[in-house]
Amino acid sequence: MATMAKVSKVNCETTRFGEIEVDEDLVITLPNGIIGFEESRRYVVLHLHEKSPFRWLQSLDDGSLAFPIIDPWDFKPDYAPTISDADAVQLRINRDSPKLAFAIVTISRQEPRRITANLLGPIVINPATRLGKQVIVTDEQYTTKHSIMDEISRQAAA
Amino acid sequence: MLVLTRKTDQSIMIGDEVEITILEVRGEQVRVGIRAPRSVQIHRKEVFDQIREANISATGATLDSLPDIEDIREPSGA
Repeated sequence: MATMAKVSKVNCETTRFGEIEVDEDLVITLPNGIIGFEESRRYVVLHLHEKSPFRWLQSLDDGSLAFPIIDPWDFKPDYAPTISDADAVQLRINRDSPKLAFAIVTISRQEPRRITANLLGPIVINPATRLGKQVIVTDEQYTTKHSIMDEISRQAAA
Repeated sequence: MLVLTRKTDQSIMIGDEVEITILEVRGEQVRVGIRAPRSVQIHRKEVFDQIREANISATGATLDSLPDIEDIREPSGA
């Protein structure tokens, strides 16, 4: 009789999403945490609305901690971050072509349409190991406040 | 804060794996060389602070902070 291999689940009580349950193999571990939030290491990506480019990086160590994120290539297909040797070695990825990365999104309270993405400090993940890190890219052209709307207009005009 | 005074070409050891060397002093600028294991992150402080600020600011967002997809994809309403 065949038995189904059980995928372990992880539960977490979160502030924004209530109680969530995710497969253990979807958990992303950031051994250095996120800058300013080094104590929290385990995260999961939640995608609330399929059509929205925005997702949430929810901490499993602290239910009240979550970051809105976006796949940077979703709005900037020519995003080409360069990772330091140290980070590439630590993550065991190729420094010129991170395959999986998220930019943390900031929404201005004063101007709700002013949404910016941190392209200077993306969260880069090795999809095979599911280990990640918030790296500081070595390219001088990227900032912590890259306007998503402006970029979309720029891409449309090009 | 520990304060040390060094001359050009002198070094400081932090732990037994991090070495900081004063390479050159030119007017207001000091060129600093750092030897450290690859696992140790080294960044100009202001960049690190900027990222920390952006992270902190991002955590304030709630579910309704994020705009609808329509607002993003068609900013001109076209």
